[in-house]
Amino acid sequence: MLSRTAENLFWFSRYIERADATIRLLEVGYRMSVMPNTLQGYRNEWEAILESIGSKAEYIEKNQIFERKKIEFFLLFDKRNHSSVINCITKARENIRLARTAVTLEVWNAINSSFHEFSELINAKYNPKNLLEIIDIVKRQVNTIRGTILNTQLLNDGYDFLTIGTYFERADFTARLIDVKYYILLPSSEDVGSQNDQFQWGMLLRSISSYRAYNWAYGTNEYSYTKIIDLLILNTDCPRSLAFSVGKISEHFHSLVNLYNHSSKAHNQAKDISKKLKNKTAEAITEYGLHEFLLNFLDDMNDLYDFLNQKYFRGIQ
Amino acid sequence: MFNEVYHNQKIRKHYQQLISAMGNLPSDVIRKKKQEAEETIRNIGITFSVYSDLDARERLIPFDMFPRIISSAEWKKINDGIVQRALAINAFLRDIYHTGEILRAGIIPKELVYQNPAFDVKMIGFDVPHHIYAPIIGSDIVRTSKEGFSVLEDNCRIPSGVSYMIENREIMMRMFPEILQQIKVEGVDSYPQHLLNTLCSLKPKNCYGEPNVVLLTPGPMNSAYYEHSYLADTMGIELVQGTDLFVDDGITYMMTTTGPKRVDIIYRRIDDKFLDPLSYDNSSLIGIPGLFNSYKSHNLSILSAPGSGLADDKAIYSYMPDIIRFYQGESPILDNICTWRCHIEDERKYVLDNITKLVVKEVHGAGGYGMLIGDRASKNNINKFKNKIKNNPSNYIAQPILNLSTVPIFNKSSLEQRHVDFRPFCLVGQNFTKLVSGGLTRVALKKGSLVVNSSQGGGVKDTWVLAE
Repeated sequence: MLSRTAENLFWFSRYIERADATIRLLEVGYRMSVMPNTLQGYRNEWEAILESIGSKAEYIEKNQIFERKKIEFFLLFDKRNHSSVINCITKARENIRLARTAVTLEVWNAINSSFHEFSELINAKYNPKNLLEIIDIVKRQVNTIRGTILNTQLLNDGYDFLTIGTYFERADFTARLIDVKYYILLPSSEDVGSQNDQFQWGMLLRSISSYRAYNWAYGTNEYSYTKIIDLLILNTDCPRSLAFSVGKISEHFHSLVNLYNHSSKAHNQAKDISKKLKNKTAEAITEYGLHEFLLNFLDDMNDLYDFLNQKYFRGIQ
Repeated sequence: MFNEVYHNQKIRKHYQQLISAMGNLPSDVIRKKKQEAEETIRNIGITFSVYSDLDARERLIPFDMFPRIISSAEWKKINDGIVQRALAINAFLRDIYHTGEILRAGIIPKELVYQNPAFDVKMIGFDVPHHIYAPIIGSDIVRTSKEGFSVLEDNCRIPSGVSYMIENREIMMRMFPEILQQIKVEGVDSYPQHLLNTLCSLKPKNCYGEPNVVLLTPGPMNSAYYEHSYLADTMGIELVQGTDLFVDDGITYMMTTTGPKRVDIIYRRIDDKFLDPLSYDNSSLIGIPGLFNSYKSHNLSILSAPGSGLADDKAIYSYMPDIIRFYQGESPILDNICTWRCHIEDERKYVLDNITKLVVKEVHGAGGYGMLIGDRASKNNINKFKNKIKNNPSNYIAQPILNLSTVPIFNKSSLEQRHVDFRPFCLVGQNFTKLVSGGLTRVALKKGSLVVNSSQGGGVKDTWVLAE
């Protein structure tokens, strides 16, 4: 497979996953806005949301004040926001257009139709009343694209790069989200485990579609700090956790190594990250410091990207 | 003016079945079918780009559902005429880049060749694989009377539009399966396989096994990018850009996830001047340094060959009947359009005196740009063109304003006549030629318009060549 094609497939998946993540954050924002929240106000929540997708500075530069409608527009349609849903879908489509010969007609149709459907939404003036509808449309589109890949793509190296892209973005996003929340939620040690925490952690779980999963996994709706860390970082049954995502990445690097019959540093690195997670407990992470732990994790992921990039995208063996 | 459907107040025989099936569709059915077709086109992503239009970089190609039919007898004439032309063009290019017999015989003026910007001096004396320079030729055919099929121009370097030929049929099969079951139409979907066979038959001397063929595109901004990806996809070959390729020690490679892989044949869809910054335009960012050297060392085939655009030139075109006679020893099966060459004084004078009855074209123009249709141009524009001709006569030719034949289109609720042309695609491989029975019918959607180019309000139709 052409190196560029592999790169296009990888980034296509990352952008689709990012659109998905952004839309989930919007959904959380929407829930907040219809709840009588008396604790810290929306301001913090919106700031956290913008921070977790790395767009806070960009937003402030352009908008000054935090206002629901403005933030929603910024996240959905603002072309100056590199993580806005429109930018994610556009870039996903550009990447897949470049790799058009590596995906099935069905996959191309799915992404192309989403692009056109979403572009039509832009032409209409944004009305906050339509937010839920837009969220549903994007979720459906993302699921259609994923399902089409699953149902029609050949399970070859292209599929490996597609999958690696998805889980790379997911691991990155979950890690950033927890980190942002960690800061927001721990203004002082007394607050930990308070009513406020219960509410905020609930929102966090919703934003990565793990609200119900928590209950299934631990048989309770009482949130505890360690259980949430376990679910989002270590639990290999939770499809949004770091351990699950890295496990998937490692699996698909393994299949590339077998297919190409050539070892890769990327595969070894993924295995190492996976192993580190396996040997940890939530308590140990807390003791070590969640923030430091997450920074280390993100560093490891950066190295992993470098190895991936050099070996498969740049041909430096 | 020739009406393809009605002749002497009667429906021509090979259109009868179609007219009874399609002639009286209620307007709501037409509207629904139109929407369906548009939806299909949009979802498949059949687009073309207009360079001057930055906001709408991708547009959907307007498609009309009423097919144009060519009887098997008509097709035979077109087929034979195009094959004759394709062979003559390749013989001409071989001659020009070797001994230049046709110039010595005084049939074509030397300066028309040697001063031509499409003439590539680096190709002189070089033997291209099996002497085929232009393996894919798309000639534009117009019809002005019942018998009168003429060739308007030849596209040898990078003819485009063949993907529409195939996709138009796909759309028609989805929309009107019952009609296609009744009428026996020749298939067109084997084209990519024939194209691949043609390319493979022209592998370079230093390729001993199965050749690795790639399609070289300038990228998604190019107006024909859709076609590039379509053809690469259906041929099962890699769609590459300049940045995917590199040359090392005279060998061309593409970068893959398993390391460099040798490339033997490049089906290029970029202009000569962008191929290699070392040999052509050194400011080109999309070229591959060393590619031309790899080609001349017989490690690589570039198809069509650099320098083959010479035969696209409209001034050379005017000599095509002579070229056919010279190399094939036959009279041309298809007519040329009468052409006045402005570099010849008498002809220039005629053009200037009769400009309102003529179409003036730049010799290297394409896409309907840089031309003047005398009977509908403003006075101002006519004067501008007269000056241009006087200042640079060899850059212009003129032809009569052709009354292109018409085929109906679905216009809202009724069928209305519009002008059409036709571009079949001829493949020339090692010891064989092949025309898939079909081609691209372009239609001027505006009433009375003669310009069929998609960049200027033209659309496309499916073309049905009837089986015998």
